[in-house]
Amino acid sequence: MKKFLLPIILLLTPSLLFAAGASTQLEGNFQVGPAIILITILCVFVLVGVVFRAKDTADFYAAGRSISRVGSGMAIASNWMSAASFLGMAALMYGTGYHGLAYVVGWTGGYVLLLILMAGQIRKYGKYTAADFIGDRYYSQGLRAVGAVITILISISYCVGQFGGIGLMFKWILGIDYAIAVIIGGSVVLVYTLISGMLGVTKNMQIQYVIIIVSFLIPLFILTFKFDYFWLLPQIGYGSVVSDIVSGVPITETAQMFNALGHEYAMVPSPEFAMPWDTASGQSFFQWIAIAFSLMIGTAGLPHVIQRFYVVPKARDARWSVVWGLFFISILYWSAPVYAAFGKILSANPEVGKLAKDAIVVYTAQLGNVNPLIVGLLAAGGVSAAFSTVSGLLVAGSSAFAHDLYVKIINPKASPKMQLLMARLGTILMAVIVTLLALKNWALIAQLVAVAFSLAGVTIFPLFLLGIWWSRSNKQGAIAGLIAGLSVAAISLTYFIAGKEGVTLPYHEFVNYWLGAWYFAWIGAPLAILANIIVSKLTPETPLEIRKFLVLNVHS
Amino acid sequence: MESNQNDYHISFFKPTTAQAKWNRNLAIKLILIWAVAVFGFHFLLRAIEKPTPEESYVKYEMVWENILAESASVEEMQIFAHSSLSVIGKVFIKPEYKTALNNAVSWTTFQLADSSQKELLIDKTKEFEKLKEEVTSISDPEYINAKNSLSQVASSILGLQNSDPRILIVSFSLISTEMELFKAENKDMIPTIMSTYLIHNQSFLTDFKFLGFPFHYFYSAIFLLVLFVFLCWLYCYRVDKMNVKLDIDE
Repeated sequence: MKKFLLPIILLLTPSLLFAAGASTQLEGNFQVGPAIILITILCVFVLVGVVFRAKDTADFYAAGRSISRVGSGMAIASNWMSAASFLGMAALMYGTGYHGLAYVVGWTGGYVLLLILMAGQIRKYGKYTAADFIGDRYYSQGLRAVGAVITILISISYCVGQFGGIGLMFKWILGIDYAIAVIIGGSVVLVYTLISGMLGVTKNMQIQYVIIIVSFLIPLFILTFKFDYFWLLPQIGYGSVVSDIVSGVPITETAQMFNALGHEYAMVPSPEFAMPWDTASGQSFFQWIAIAFSLMIGTAGLPHVIQRFYVVPKARDARWSVVWGLFFISILYWSAPVYAAFGKILSANPEVGKLAKDAIVVYTAQLGNVNPLIVGLLAAGGVSAAFSTVSGLLVAGSSAFAHDLYVKIINPKASPKMQLLMARLGTILMAVIVTLLALKNWALIAQLVAVAFSLAGVTIFPLFLLGIWWSRSNKQGAIAGLIAGLSVAAISLTYFIAGKEGVTLPYHEFVNYWLGAWYFAWIGAPLAILANIIVSKLTPETPLEIRKFLVLNVHS
Repeated sequence: MESNQNDYHISFFKPTTAQAKWNRNLAIKLILIWAVAVFGFHFLLRAIEKPTPEESYVKYEMVWENILAESASVEEMQIFAHSSLSVIGKVFIKPEYKTALNNAVSWTTFQLADSSQKELLIDKTKEFEKLKEEVTSISDPEYINAKNSLSQVASSILGLQNSDPRILIVSFSLISTEMELFKAENKDMIPTIMSTYLIHNQSFLTDFKFLGFPFHYFYSAIFLLVLFVFLCWLYCYRVDKMNVKLDIDE
């Protein structure tokens, strides 16, 4: 069947050529061209998912360990490049300038930690899921269950931002209400994940990476060319755009350049866009550092990222897949700030009005008069980014539910068919919860996603770090570390949710600043590590067989 | 890492084999480079920064006392309006600050207008306000005419040059009901607004340009990512070489 796939894709491709809409309005109408592009791309995803669908449980969880290094790197990148990367980062930089770069640095710098401290060792440990590792390393079914629940919570938290992004893009393309868009988009990604499983997902991720990166880059060349910057390498060419924003763009110099609404390409000096922790952004030096640090350790503790290392054949492949993955990710991360910079100038005129920051990537392309066909492809790329991540997250979450909770704890004699059924039920349940939370629209996409990173940073990261590198770390220490980390998370998230629901708790300003929902790991992770070390030292040593396994299998 | 068959221990800081020591040292070196590059640079940026006012702030400071005392000259009033428009043009400002600044611009423009211009200014502002509410498209010719006409009148009163991007904003900052009085509560807010939006943390690292970027921006947005990829590549390369040297088959 695989040999029929290419012709089918080629047959579908011509529809792209007829898909150009001619809308100059920023939003509100059904956009025919982008809608056709989106549907075409989704059809391709489902087709690929069907062709490479999971045949059994091992396939569903870990793609049969048959993925190459570069392929796995692409899958890591695609899995990683979510709506938060595609839409959210530009949104943050558009709104808060240099502060947004904390997310760029945090989300890439974490891979260095992940590689040096964990990637190879995780593969050598040879487990399918994060909870598997925790249960095994800390010889506790209870901790396995807690690990599974944490994985599910992280996946849900991460997915909320993605569903928000899917909703925004479906809203923009279909011209429908945000709530309906979230429900439609959520349903489509759920069906897709259920059909394809992880094998399909991994193959799809490679295709998705290409679509995401191509759709993201094309408008940048056009924008830099149109507005007379160095366009051969927009990721460098936009340096002058940033400097123009800082010094201001007078009208005379740019008399021939207009945005799609007919406004001159001009703006008053706005150094706050580029200057660090500017008072105008409302963000401080501490917050920059705390966010970058939290995102870095969160990266090294995210279950769906760690899970990618189980699908490569060897530890060496796991390591090199990180290099490839980070390189592929960086291509997008070098590019996202370009949208923020152009968006800043192109939306400077008061007539543009207040734009939804999370859709600034698409608005920038529209305001820059980029061909509607290409803008449609860009929006579809945003949906793809969210899809690729959501499917990986749903698989990680449902694996935790079916494999770690159901099979390992509730029903060890479950047949493979029953396991697959439970995985699919878990996927549906998670998708419903995520949709309900996404409808709340509590924060920007990138901020919602950062919550998942902090949660991973205070729970899974300390368990993996000490579990791999310190054999003295034992069950009691792990429990103490989890209690410490989860307590910090509980305080932070209680204040965050209470604030969003209009409830003012005591010392809310203090807690919201020092334990912000998107960066509480800056203190939570060190506390969890400290608690783990102290309690481990005070309690009996880790059993010999585990220490032996660590020495002979993981570090040999 | 293992001391003997019956005592298996792993500790990052106390490696017991040559390979483990090598691996530990490599990891420490790379993580140190990583930490200094990310956090060291930003601590340095923080340590050397100085609050640096924009030109608009420097000029505002020179005239603000006289504006408060209502003894400002025409030129000083114009400078104050220019500085207020510089903040309004920044896209993201708090709504209450915007209200205060709109009041400042409207009041200043009205004060600077002579008696014949005053009536014209109010009429044109009201006409534009009405059209803003009514029109469905910003390309409506009547709306465009009203906007440009008001902009022309206000720009000439405020002494804005044709190249000044603030002429694109001024029509939207004029509020017909805010012209006669600069409200006390808005006056009180002005110093906070100006210092919040017109003073920035700058140093030679932010002022120096590299490939068109302010240097620190290039460093975080471009260079750090290159460094991260390089560190990852270097680690894999070194580990592979070591594995070949020690004949380790993973």
